[in-house]
Amino acid sequence: MITVSDSTFMAVRRRLAAALSDAGPAGAPRPLEISERGAREAPAIREATVIEGDRLTARAVPGAPEPRFDAFLDGSQITLVARWHEAVPIVHGSVAAAIRQRRGRRLTTWGSPIVRRALYAPLPLLPKAVSRALDSAGIDIVDTLARRDAPSSHPFALQDVAYQCVMADRERVEQELAAQWCSAERGLLFIDGGIAASATVARATNVVGVVKSHQTLYAAADDLGVVTSLKSGERSSVMRVEGTARPAVASWYLRTADAAGRDPFWGLVRVEVSLDADAQGAALTGRADEVSRWVLAEKLPLSVPDPRWDRMAYGIRDTEEYLRAVQ
Amino acid sequence: MNAPIVGRIVATEKRPNTAHEFHFWTSLDSPIGIGTIVRVDGEHPVNGQLPRVYGVVVEGFSYTDLQSPIHDVLGHDGAPASAAQAATLRAEIRLYTAHVLRQIPEEPLQPVPMGTVSLAMDEDVNVALRMDTYLTPGKSTGIPAGVYRAGSMEAPIYLDAEFLCGPEAAHLNISGVSGLATKTSAVEWLLSSIFTHFPTQKGSVAAVCFNVKGPDLLFLDQPGEIDDADRAIYERLGVKPGPFEKVRYFAPYTAQGFSLNTLRSNEELAHNVTPLTWGLNEVMQFAEVLLNRDDLDAKADALIDFLQERVINRDFTDPVLSTPHRVRSFSELEAFFRDLLRGMEDRGSAEHWRTHHVATIRKVRNRLSNISTRCAGLVTDEGSVSDLPFGSFQDRTVYVVDVASLEEDAQDLIFARVVSKLREHLERRDLGVSHVIVFVDELNKYAPGDGPDTYVRKMLLDISERGRYLGLVLFSAQQFRSQVHRRVVGNSGTAMYGRMDMDELATPGYAVLSPATRTKLATLEKGQLMVRHPHFSQPIFVRFPRPAVLRGRDGAEKFPPAIDVPIEVAVLRSLRPLDPSLSLDWVKQTIAGHDDAVVIRARNETLQARPERVQQFFESRFRRIVPSEPVTAPAAVPLRGRPRDDPYGF
Repeated sequence: MITVSDSTFMAVRRRLAAALSDAGPAGAPRPLEISERGAREAPAIREATVIEGDRLTARAVPGAPEPRFDAFLDGSQITLVARWHEAVPIVHGSVAAAIRQRRGRRLTTWGSPIVRRALYAPLPLLPKAVSRALDSAGIDIVDTLARRDAPSSHPFALQDVAYQCVMADRERVEQELAAQWCSAERGLLFIDGGIAASATVARATNVVGVVKSHQTLYAAADDLGVVTSLKSGERSSVMRVEGTARPAVASWYLRTADAAGRDPFWGLVRVEVSLDADAQGAALTGRADEVSRWVLAEKLPLSVPDPRWDRMAYGIRDTEEYLRAVQ
Repeated sequence: MNAPIVGRIVATEKRPNTAHEFHFWTSLDSPIGIGTIVRVDGEHPVNGQLPRVYGVVVEGFSYTDLQSPIHDVLGHDGAPASAAQAATLRAEIRLYTAHVLRQIPEEPLQPVPMGTVSLAMDEDVNVALRMDTYLTPGKSTGIPAGVYRAGSMEAPIYLDAEFLCGPEAAHLNISGVSGLATKTSAVEWLLSSIFTHFPTQKGSVAAVCFNVKGPDLLFLDQPGEIDDADRAIYERLGVKPGPFEKVRYFAPYTAQGFSLNTLRSNEELAHNVTPLTWGLNEVMQFAEVLLNRDDLDAKADALIDFLQERVINRDFTDPVLSTPHRVRSFSELEAFFRDLLRGMEDRGSAEHWRTHHVATIRKVRNRLSNISTRCAGLVTDEGSVSDLPFGSFQDRTVYVVDVASLEEDAQDLIFARVVSKLREHLERRDLGVSHVIVFVDELNKYAPGDGPDTYVRKMLLDISERGRYLGLVLFSAQQFRSQVHRRVVGNSGTAMYGRMDMDELATPGYAVLSPATRTKLATLEKGQLMVRHPHFSQPIFVRFPRPAVLRGRDGAEKFPPAIDVPIEVAVLRSLRPLDPSLSLDWVKQTIAGHDDAVVIRARNETLQARPERVQQFFESRFRRIVPSEPVTAPAAVPLRGRPRDDPYGF
């Protein structure tokens, strides 16, 4: 028997089917993350100020890799269309974040993972009866148009807006959990992705963000060659990366695996750490080298069979597997 | 007290749980292993009762999230030593498969539900193995077989006497490779346990053990060394660690006839060793054991039957015979045949006597006379008998028959006759005890799965199929169970397995065991056994203590066998238990001038009669020898000389 508090996709879909007796078409149970209809960030190049030296150069990371991270944080999301009302998609989104702490070289869950589920729908486009039925579905409702504007009422555009909302919620739970770590622990936290979404996390000195995706590249167009030509174990100069309404962080590119014969982004990650205004010159270089050594140490064990294994730390893969089990 | 949770049930579509098998995972440091008994607590009630399932682990798996071994090679650039540099150890699983021992409630029988897994505690083990049904206080029929261990937990395992010694089921069969002190040790331990815990309401019990090799069973009455761990098991199972209090040994003589054919011949241990000798009467009933069936036809059988019915132990007269005969021994039988054949020749009726052809008579004479030669030392010509105390067997006593040094024929004869006599007496309820455990090692030899259908094998089959009703229980052991007759091992209610040979484990009889269980059997350490018992729905691994008796090899070193001694010393040793005051000089004096055969007969008659005045009785067995007197030569009478002048004179 399904309880009202059961907010899993199948339970919600059954309740919606019962509530909406007009029997609208049910959504295909295929996550938008892996379907062609999932929204994608547009490729972009953003200039960033080089703060280590006067121009972007390749620098060999000195010393041997040092495994220093105490924990790994990652988030995940599953976005599924639960139901269509005419041409309006009603999307079920599930977001989660977890920290896996390393003790004795083995990973266990730190604290409690955060798992949240909600229905994402453009409420103004739905009849009141349908909105009321959604209210009875026993799950939080998110009005996707309250936060963002849809470029059109095309069903796929509405779907993309819902997807972006779910993604934002995922980032939110990740930052929430990261903030919990920062307030409770002194150990080093490896975050999958950037750290600038939360001011608290962006300022924390025990947090390192590692970005695997390169839809947005931070470098002057002339310096892109420096980034793509980094050799294994080399990093770029440190840059100051600043987003709209986001605090500035220190960032650099790091090649973790030999890309010979591969595409230029093979094994390439972008590291983000808090920006210390006082850290300049040798101190800044020393900090970047030190963090790079920490990140390089996470190359082993390989994260296969994940297709991003050239850039993904094993701790992050383990966290993803954990989230897959609990989400 | 509830045991801590050590695992969780898992089931997938590819690997579902069933009513007889389930899967669970544990932490990497859990005490679970192959053979561990676990308890599953279901989370959803069935008919108002939370299901509880007991199982025994039969298989274990371990793997990581690595998809292919090549990924690990790539990750470490082909250098295994660099694996230690990995910052994180891969996620790893310990996944176990268990077979269901018991489900509660037993109806409806359902697939094992999801739930928690914990180590079975003492009480759980009792329930899981259905021991709770026969360990009722005051009416317990449990016989401790050993302890089951898992983690820091130790639980005694009991066999049901009703199913070990009859009448519900009976018999025990032990398999295991030789030389690992498993089979014989297990039987010795189990006999101690039975003697201690045999239920009063079931009556009395004794054991007859055939020592078939070396000194294995020859020092059961001597204390052996055990360590503290063994002592703890003895205490846990309520058995006193010590040698058997009542043991009697039986061994035939050597072919020479004056010293016993056993490695237990040290004079210090002679007090409870009794000669085993049989005469014609004892042997004829089992002549079939010794006679080659291919050689003897129906005509010979008919003559043997005639002899048994009309001649042996009867006054027999016949016109052909020169004198009446009463045949009581092989020598008298030989005299009978000699007289008969001579009579037939003398009367010219050489062809037939009472429908028996002369050739048949000669053949039967040859084969029967041959028996005392082939079984010299056991079968006596003169008919003296020294036997097991059939009719006065004592409770909790071990009777060891040492046949280790005998020829195969003699072994078969002893085995067949002793077991048959036990059976006869048990049928008549006049053996002296109500249950007898017969221990036979090397069952491959006595009841092979293939080969000729021998008398011994037929008899073993009969015991294994019907013995339980009589209280005649067969404890058998062999190295290769697959080579023993299926009906013999199949009728053994209880089976035990020590370390097994991999080739043996590859035979079809072991196909029911999981690969992990088979591997465990192939690497089992000393003192461990896998037990199958009618109450246990799956085999269980138990640990038993070392028997607190002197091991055969140690015994042979501590009590070296007596070297071959002259006949006077042998006679003295035989008679001294009857009268310790006898001296060697007296024996020498008494037997001086007599043939060895006469001396041996006198000794046998004395031992059989066990007279009060041994010296007088023994001396009376000899005919007086008249002392020889020197003969003086008569004086020579000179020949008369020939006259010189009479050349023809005489």
